[in-house]
Amino acid sequence: MSDEPLRGSTPEDPSGFVRAVDERGAATVGTVGGGLTPTGRKGGNPVSRVVGHPLFGWLVIAVAVALPFVNSSAYAIRISTDALIFIMLAVGLNVVVGYCGLLDLGYAAFFAIGAYTSGVLSTTFGWPILATIPFVVIAAVIGGLLIGGPTLRLRSDYLAIVTLGFGEIIRITANNLDFTGGPNGVFGIPDFGDFGLRSDIATYWVVVVVVGLAVLASSRLGRGRLGRAWRFVREDEDAAEAMGIHTYKVKFAAYVTGAIFGGLAGVLFAVHQTAISPPSFNFLWSALILMAVVLGGMGSTPGVVIGAIIISLLPELLRGAENWRYLIFGVLLIVVMIFRPQGIWPHRVEEKPDRGRRRRSSPEPEEVAR
Amino acid sequence: MTAWPSGGEISMMRTTRVGAVAAAAGAVLALTSCGGGGITGDSGSGGGDTGDIVLGMVTPLSGSSAAIGPYMKNGAQLAVNEANEAGGVIGRQVKLVAEDGACDPKTAAAAAAKLVTAGTNVSVGGYCSSATLPTLSIFGKANIPMIIPAANSNDLLKDQHKNVFLLNGTGAQQAQAALDFMKKSGAKAIALVDDNTSYSKDITTRTAEDAKGDSALKVVSRESVTAGESDYSAAVTAILRANPDFVYWTGYYQEGGLLIKQLRAAGYKGDVMVADGSVDKQLITIAGKDNAQGVFATMTQTPQTIPGGDAWIAKYKKAFNADPGPYSTQSYDAVRVAVEAIKNAGSTDGTKVITALQAIDGFPIFSGKLKFTPEHTLSEGGFDILVVKGDGFVLNK
Repeated sequence: MSDEPLRGSTPEDPSGFVRAVDERGAATVGTVGGGLTPTGRKGGNPVSRVVGHPLFGWLVIAVAVALPFVNSSAYAIRISTDALIFIMLAVGLNVVVGYCGLLDLGYAAFFAIGAYTSGVLSTTFGWPILATIPFVVIAAVIGGLLIGGPTLRLRSDYLAIVTLGFGEIIRITANNLDFTGGPNGVFGIPDFGDFGLRSDIATYWVVVVVVGLAVLASSRLGRGRLGRAWRFVREDEDAAEAMGIHTYKVKFAAYVTGAIFGGLAGVLFAVHQTAISPPSFNFLWSALILMAVVLGGMGSTPGVVIGAIIISLLPELLRGAENWRYLIFGVLLIVVMIFRPQGIWPHRVEEKPDRGRRRRSSPEPEEVAR
Repeated sequence: MTAWPSGGEISMMRTTRVGAVAAAAGAVLALTSCGGGGITGDSGSGGGDTGDIVLGMVTPLSGSSAAIGPYMKNGAQLAVNEANEAGGVIGRQVKLVAEDGACDPKTAAAAAAKLVTAGTNVSVGGYCSSATLPTLSIFGKANIPMIIPAANSNDLLKDQHKNVFLLNGTGAQQAQAALDFMKKSGAKAIALVDDNTSYSKDITTRTAEDAKGDSALKVVSRESVTAGESDYSAAVTAILRANPDFVYWTGYYQEGGLLIKQLRAAGYKGDVMVADGSVDKQLITIAGKDNAQGVFATMTQTPQTIPGGDAWIAKYKKAFNADPGPYSTQSYDAVRVAVEAIKNAGSTDGTKVITALQAIDGFPIFSGKLKFTPEHTLSEGGFDILVVKGDGFVLNK
């Protein structure tokens, strides 16, 4: 907090998050100041050239689909499925936090709503899982409306506190209601069916498809008209409003979209775990999802996906460390954030404008963007 | 609004997006080494038919219940050592593999999957009930018998997985033992306090139900506290308002110790009893030695409380240079029962071992002669009443 105030941040809101958002706002101003980002792929780094190739993505989607042929051990399938579900949560939260700049500390609430709606309908009422999905979406939207309605008029830190409370309310409610199984939770949740395959692999492939579509959808949402409105609201809400964007509606759209992503991820989680209970939806979850978004690079779909994979798999890889596991995990995350404060794979358009061309056209934006 | 992005920009965005998915899948793949098995049918019968017999254990080695993990692991390891010294079973050596479940459902499920992949023949773990529930289907699909030493929620049995056996007394049995003692001690007004976890609430609910039909005593107060807090004065005030003469706490020792301390500080003079999750020396330390004196506990039989247990404790101390703790004995027994069943079955085939487990009759374990009920629980609960005397728990005479 004692750093010299950055451009655009007022002394009244010293939160690091707000500063991070402001910082990127300044970066964008710089970009805009220098004209549109130059076209064409960057040359330079051979890694980014390979990774940036259009076919590379499809290749690796194919690899994800092919995983069970390479390694079909129960453990590999299990943690890969966990990681995929976590990716879905992270891209969902990315819509809220990354695109729209609404700090949500209670995202696990929507995850819980989805998991419980699906779990209760499928066990207590014996519905097939697929039939529960429309109701999960409805429940998630209702949850989003209930909490978003009154709170989206708040900004930054205030919204964070309210969502933090919401997350805990949902978990404690689930812990105390009878139809949610109280502290025991819901168990014996059926799966999607095995399609003649080993059941965990069948679930894995269903999850690959759903999460693949979710990543695609989230990424496309961010590039459309609505996506640009979200970014505008994130950078400067007052300016966005002045330009004719209905900021409340736009923020609402982001929040409800995030809720639906979270709810659907909850369905996958319920099916994958077969048993859900309130401790699975505690604040740590919300914090970890947010961490995945920030670690990967807010607003950048590829970054968030990478962040989610790291957050989800690192504790598993550190299994040998036993009691030290979460200490090492925490230290590693701190190290990453010290050396890559903008995230592992930040949003390129803002992060790395073509230096050569910008220097030619105008020198100031470089100054601002720093 | 700004101008439409140029073609180049769109193409770049698209490639980064696809690249993300790519990197995602790549990392997932990179993590896995080579693995076997087909993609259809069962995940196999877990372990192999040759080489060491693998006993897998999911137990908390990190997180809030991390203290319990080593007790369980060492107890099981002791039995494994004994089995190997006796020449192994069906001509093969026995090996224990412990994985951290952290008392968290997701971590425990991953641990269970890891154990299945490691070729586990019989699972001998399971501490937190809510973290054990998701592991049932994982071991079940691999047809691996589970002998659960500690977790004892009745929910574990509701789906009637044929591979699940509980070696700990159930909540129902513990509630019955508690109620019997309350009646014996002449309690009239009972306060039940739980920490709102699966295990704890199971016992209070059953105690309250059992007490309903009883005219001698009445449940005057039921409280649920949130685990992990440091101030339980709200609960203490609510309990005292109901004016009970017997308080029964069914949660774990950390909160139990605080609760006892705050109850005594608020002037409560009646009896306090705790359930087996609180039977740990830490309870006495946290509550304060004076406050803890005379606190009763319902507990499955432990080496400290059974005749001839001293020799076992000495053996344990010699092997691990540490005192045995909660569930050391149950874990020890779980391994012995597993070894016995494999011996009787003459094979590590899951189905045969399950049949052998069902057929066990009169095998001596710490809680008495073992015979499983048709629901796969102990036919005798084997709960003792302990009391705090000095620095530890002793059998209440």
